[in-house]
Amino acid sequence: MIRGRRALEPVVGFGLLAAAGVAVPLITRDSYHLDVATATLRNLLLTMSLRHVMSTGQLNMALVSFMGVGAYASALLVTRAGWSFWAALPVAPLLAALAAVPVGRVALRVSGPYYFLITFAFLEVLRLVFNNLFVSYLGGPSGLVEIPQPHSLPLTAGAVAFTTKLAQYWLMLVLFLGSAAVLIRLEFSRLGLVNSAIRQGELLAETLGVDVTRYKLGAFVLSAFFAGIAGVFFAHSQQVLHSSDFGLEPMVLLVVFTVIGGAGSVWGPVVGTVVLAVASELLRELHHYEILVYGLVLMVVMLFFPEGIVALPGRLARWLARRRARGTPAVGASVVP
Amino acid sequence: MFLELADVSRRFGGLQAVTGLSMAVAPGTIHGLIGPNGAGKSTVFNLITGVLPVSAGEIRFRGERISGLRPSEICRRGIARTFQATALFRESTVLDNVLVATHLRAGRGLLATLLGSARYRAGEAAARERARALLASLGLVGAAALPAGALPHRDQKALCLAMALATGADLVILDEPLAGLTTQESEDTMAALRALRAEGTTILLVEHDMRAVMGLCDRITGLDHGVRIAEGTPREIQDNPAVIEAYLGAEDTRA
Repeated sequence: MIRGRRALEPVVGFGLLAAAGVAVPLITRDSYHLDVATATLRNLLLTMSLRHVMSTGQLNMALVSFMGVGAYASALLVTRAGWSFWAALPVAPLLAALAAVPVGRVALRVSGPYYFLITFAFLEVLRLVFNNLFVSYLGGPSGLVEIPQPHSLPLTAGAVAFTTKLAQYWLMLVLFLGSAAVLIRLEFSRLGLVNSAIRQGELLAETLGVDVTRYKLGAFVLSAFFAGIAGVFFAHSQQVLHSSDFGLEPMVLLVVFTVIGGAGSVWGPVVGTVVLAVASELLRELHHYEILVYGLVLMVVMLFFPEGIVALPGRLARWLARRRARGTPAVGASVVP
Repeated sequence: MFLELADVSRRFGGLQAVTGLSMAVAPGTIHGLIGPNGAGKSTVFNLITGVLPVSAGEIRFRGERISGLRPSEICRRGIARTFQATALFRESTVLDNVLVATHLRAGRGLLATLLGSARYRAGEAAARERARALLASLGLVGAAALPAGALPHRDQKALCLAMALATGADLVILDEPLAGLTTQESEDTMAALRALRAEGTTILLVEHDMRAVMGLCDRITGLDHGVRIAEGTPREIQDNPAVIEAYLGAEDTRA
C-alpha cells in the first residue's frame, strides 16, 4: 500500500509539473508573462536545490553563490575562451559543484547556527569577490556585460535558436524538468530516506552506519551543481551579471519561498515559489514592500504552519478526521498488535 | 577475543568518567554491564560505538582496533546500538526507520539510484524484505506504515532494537532495553533477546532491573565510579561484596 503511494507520487507530481510547464506558452505568449514564467522556473530550480540540501538539515545560505559561480564561469568560458554555450552548459555547473567541495567541507566542521554563519559569510565574501576583484574579468561594480544569448542548438543549422522569450522559456523548462526529475527521483529513493533520517537524528543515523558527513557534503555539492545550471541560464538570458544578483537578498527570497512552501516535502518549494510568484504579480503595486510582506508571511507560516503550505491539506484532513472520530471509538490503537 | 577493552579511560575536563577499564565480551553471549547511577555505563557504550573518543587505552573488535573510528565506520564493522532515551526518526514511518538501518547492505551510488539499475533494485527489494521480516519478528509489521513517533513506548523500544539488528550487526549494544516496560513486556523482550543469542548475535546491555540482568546474562561486569569492581557469572556477581557495597552505598545516599 505504502509502496504504491511511493511509486505513484513522484510520477504524478512530475507529470503535473511538466504539464503546467508546457501549458504556460499555450495560454499566453505575452512577453511579460513569459518573462515572469521563465524567472519562476529558474527560481523553482533554485528552491528545489535549496530544499535538497535542507533535507539533510543544512540551511546553506551560500547556495546562490554557486549559482553565481555557474553564471560567471559560463559567461567567461563563452566570452573569453570562445566556448559554445552548449559546452559551457554542463561544464560551468560542474565548476560550481567543484567549488562547493571545499566550502562544504569547511562549513560541515560545525553545525547549527555556526553552519549558518559560515555559509552566510561565504556568500558575502564571494559577492565581494564578484564585485571588487579581477575587475577586468568579472566586470567589477558595474557588472559583467555583453554576455551572448544561448547559441542556436548545434546540428540544427540555426533552426533552433534562443533569441526569443518563448524559445528561452522552453530552454529553461527543459533545464528545470531535467533537474527536477533527478531531485524528485532521489527524494523518493533510499537517498531521500537517509537524508531525512540525518535531518531528524544525525547521531542516530551515524551509529546506524550512515557516513553523515559524506551524505551532507553530497547534498551540498549536488545542490550547488543545480544552482550552477540556474546560473548558466541566468547569465545568458539576462546577458548582464552583477554581484548583487548573488547576494543576501536573492538568497533570503529563496529561503522564504522554500520555507513558506514547506521544506519537509519535495513539493514544498514548488508550492511556495509558485504561490509567491503569483502573489507578487497580483500585488505589483506593493512592490516596494515586497520584502516586508514576505517577512510577515514567513513569520505567520513559521508560527502557525511550520511545515509550510504544502502540509496544509494533510493537517486539514487530520483535523476533520479527528472531528469525525469524536463520536466513534478510537481506531488507531487497534493497528498495533 | 570478540570485543575487548584494554585499559580504556575517558575524562570530561576534570571528571574521570572511566578509569583504566579492561573487559572482554565473548561471542554468542549476553553480557551485562551493571553499576549504580553515574558509574560510567553509558559512557562505556559511547566509547565502544565511537560516539565519544577514548582519552586513553584501546578498544578492539575481532582483533582490530576500533577506537578512533567514526561511529558509522564502527557500525560497518558489525557493532550497532540503541540509546537510553528511545532514539527514532520520529517523522518517518516505522518501515522507513528500519530501511535506513539496512543502509549498509543495500545498493548505493548516485548513478545506480538515478538509473534504477537492476542491482540497485534487487538491493532495495532485499532490504525491504529483510526489514519486513524483522518487523514481523518483533510484532511490529502491522505498524509499518505509521510514523515512528506515534507508536506506544513498548513498540518504540522494539523498533529501536529492530533498527540495530537491521544494520546486520553481530554485536548489539542495548542501553536499558527494559526501561519503562511492564512485566509482561519485559518478559517478551527478554525472550526476544534470548532468541537473538540463540541465532548467534552477541549482546552487551546495561539494565537496572537486577532480576532481569541476573536471569538473562551469561556474564556480568560491575562498574562503580568508572572503575571495574567485579566480573563473573550472575551467581558470582550476586555474592560479590564490592558490588553489594556499591549498590547499598548508592541506595544509602539516595534514601
